[in-house]
Amino acid sequence: MIRFAVLQLSGCAGCEVSLLNAGAWLDRYRLVYMPLVISAYDVPEVDILLVSGGIRTDEDLYNLRRAVGRSRQVVAVGTCAISGGVANLGNRDDVRELFLSQAERLHVPRLLPRCQPIDAVTHVDRYLPGCPPTPELFMAVLFDDPNFKPGKSVCQECGRAKSKEMRPERLAGSQQGSISPDICLINQGYLCIGSSTRGGCRAICTIAGHPCVGCRGPSDAFIEKESEAWFVSIQRVFASLTDIPAAEIDAALRSPQLALFLFQFSDYAGGGSPRPKEKVL
Amino acid sequence: MATLTFPLSRIEGHARVVIEVHGGEVVSASFQAMEMRGFGYFVQGTPAEQMPVIVPRICGVCSTAHHVAAVKALEDAYGITPPPLARKIRELLLLGQLIQNQATSLFIFTMPDRLNVDSIFSLSEEEAAGAVQHGIPIRALQVRKTGTDLITLAGGQFIHPIKAVIGGVSSGIPAEAAETMRNRLVEALPVACDLFSYYWETSLALRERIGTWGDDAPACYIASTGDIHPNYDSDSLHVQAPDGTIHDRFSARNFRDYLSYQETEYSYAGQTSYRGEVLRANSLARINMTCIMATPRADQFLARFQKMYGQPAHAILLFDLCRGIELVYALERAIEILAEPLDGEVTLVPHEPRDGEGYGLVEAPRGPLIHHYTIEKGLISQAEFIIPTVHNMLAIERALRVAANRYITPELVNLELERAVGRVVRAFDPCIACATH
Repeated sequence: MIRFAVLQLSGCAGCEVSLLNAGAWLDRYRLVYMPLVISAYDVPEVDILLVSGGIRTDEDLYNLRRAVGRSRQVVAVGTCAISGGVANLGNRDDVRELFLSQAERLHVPRLLPRCQPIDAVTHVDRYLPGCPPTPELFMAVLFDDPNFKPGKSVCQECGRAKSKEMRPERLAGSQQGSISPDICLINQGYLCIGSSTRGGCRAICTIAGHPCVGCRGPSDAFIEKESEAWFVSIQRVFASLTDIPAAEIDAALRSPQLALFLFQFSDYAGGGSPRPKEKVL
Repeated sequence: MATLTFPLSRIEGHARVVIEVHGGEVVSASFQAMEMRGFGYFVQGTPAEQMPVIVPRICGVCSTAHHVAAVKALEDAYGITPPPLARKIRELLLLGQLIQNQATSLFIFTMPDRLNVDSIFSLSEEEAAGAVQHGIPIRALQVRKTGTDLITLAGGQFIHPIKAVIGGVSSGIPAEAAETMRNRLVEALPVACDLFSYYWETSLALRERIGTWGDDAPACYIASTGDIHPNYDSDSLHVQAPDGTIHDRFSARNFRDYLSYQETEYSYAGQTSYRGEVLRANSLARINMTCIMATPRADQFLARFQKMYGQPAHAILLFDLCRGIELVYALERAIEILAEPLDGEVTLVPHEPRDGEGYGLVEAPRGPLIHHYTIEKGLISQAEFIIPTVHNMLAIERALRVAANRYITPELVNLELERAVGRVVRAFDPCIACATH
């Protein structure tokens, strides 16, 4: 039986909760380490190591390095392991100074200067982005399922109709007003970046009426490029569907909730090389 | 001086217990939260309306509570009240979270302590005999998944919901979808009741073996719930004295007049006290303040509980039994709500953003959660997260000292101590991601 382990670094345990919802591994794989549900204090030799969370403390770093040495395959799971996720917002210089000077404690693991993705310190065989990845995605990566066919983008999986006539002139706040059920959220003035975000999540958020914030990261069209290529391209998407001024969109694209997406561009967080698309599910 | 360090598992997040012993005497017992991401710092400057998307990421276990608390804090700041249907759908969201959480805590986190195994997922064949006989792993996952599915239905996304918005919820629930969900819950209810009954039996056996339900002094309790039956959308917090009388009621806005907060050098999480007293939050606090659950199966369990342990009850391991009562309640209550029309009426009122201050209060599975935001020029200038686990920190440490004194004597350290530490901590079901945020 294939043995797998889940190492949680600094994160929210949402990935682990999602994995628990994907119960079908229960009779096929043997889970040998996952402190959330198992009392085991050290990662044993395993076939697959799933790592969630970013590297925030010196202990995260130590645990990661040790676990990787005992694993045949390393999978970075969730937005935090791939980019630091929302915690990456703490890397902004002003916040970081304030944070490190006030939050550090004497007798517990030390906070590192920056929150880092795991591939900053170790090799990664596969990436499974998502905040968190859906149970279906977990199953697809664990079983390397050839029948799993994600859409190219969230947009492709969403199914809302685009309109040439409905051209908003201003961005709507993401919490403003009600949402028409079947029409593209961009046509309704929302900053939805589903057109550039990897498919595979089945567009749950946009179908439910919330603009995509891109937690699955850049689609194959962008993942091997730098963030600038995306900034240019997303402007084109909005220009074709809206009359919203480019400057307004540009400012909104840099807003904190899009950290889930933007930090997955290796250059945006400052460093690293782009992830090859064949490694990313 | 000897220092005993116990890494913790089967709780959310990274924490450890450190007990210092000198000459056979317990000098101190500390509960140390060992992670920190800095939400209170890095959300500064965030457009206020983005908070309901960002803050669920504080914790993937308690995400729904953070999502709703964020929306309520902004509604408070903007001076608007959501329509009744929206409140009902938010109640479903919180019930979904309660189902998911209590099922996880009972059957995944603490059941192994009853069965004397490391996990319900990694049982040796011998160990598995008892558990498999009761189908625990599969049935536990089935029950908790109905909670997640309810969150998905009412909240859009399955871990970090998106459908609660300022002024209400973004849409109702169509009758057909409600009916499908309702049927699943109806199927899960007897499964949950069976598992809980078995859990109760194994708890009695555990009590027999260790000779205690967790001896500790009585405490004050804090919760935000109804006076008669559960209400997780109450607008005030209640503190109950050890004798069961309600001492204080206050709104989220006034919490500083009653609760004091301090930080320590040994943990990334602080500690709350109530007028200098040790506080307890979570399931036992709510059940101690509840007369009836107002749903049939849950009331049977509650009556049995009150008959056996009185009201208020104070023993630590009773937190776990209270979680079971709440699990059954949440399933039954969700079944009731899903039979009502949840579509067609208004789910959203318009709002005008404005600067100011807002407080959002939610009774999360672990106790009362408050989000407090200050908004300047549409941006968050200050954010405070008042976390239920933090209310329990002093109570956890006090209970750990009691356990340490029980198992440490001048002659020896009884190895049962390690298991006792785990049981004490898990009874409070702490969430470290939330506590440190």
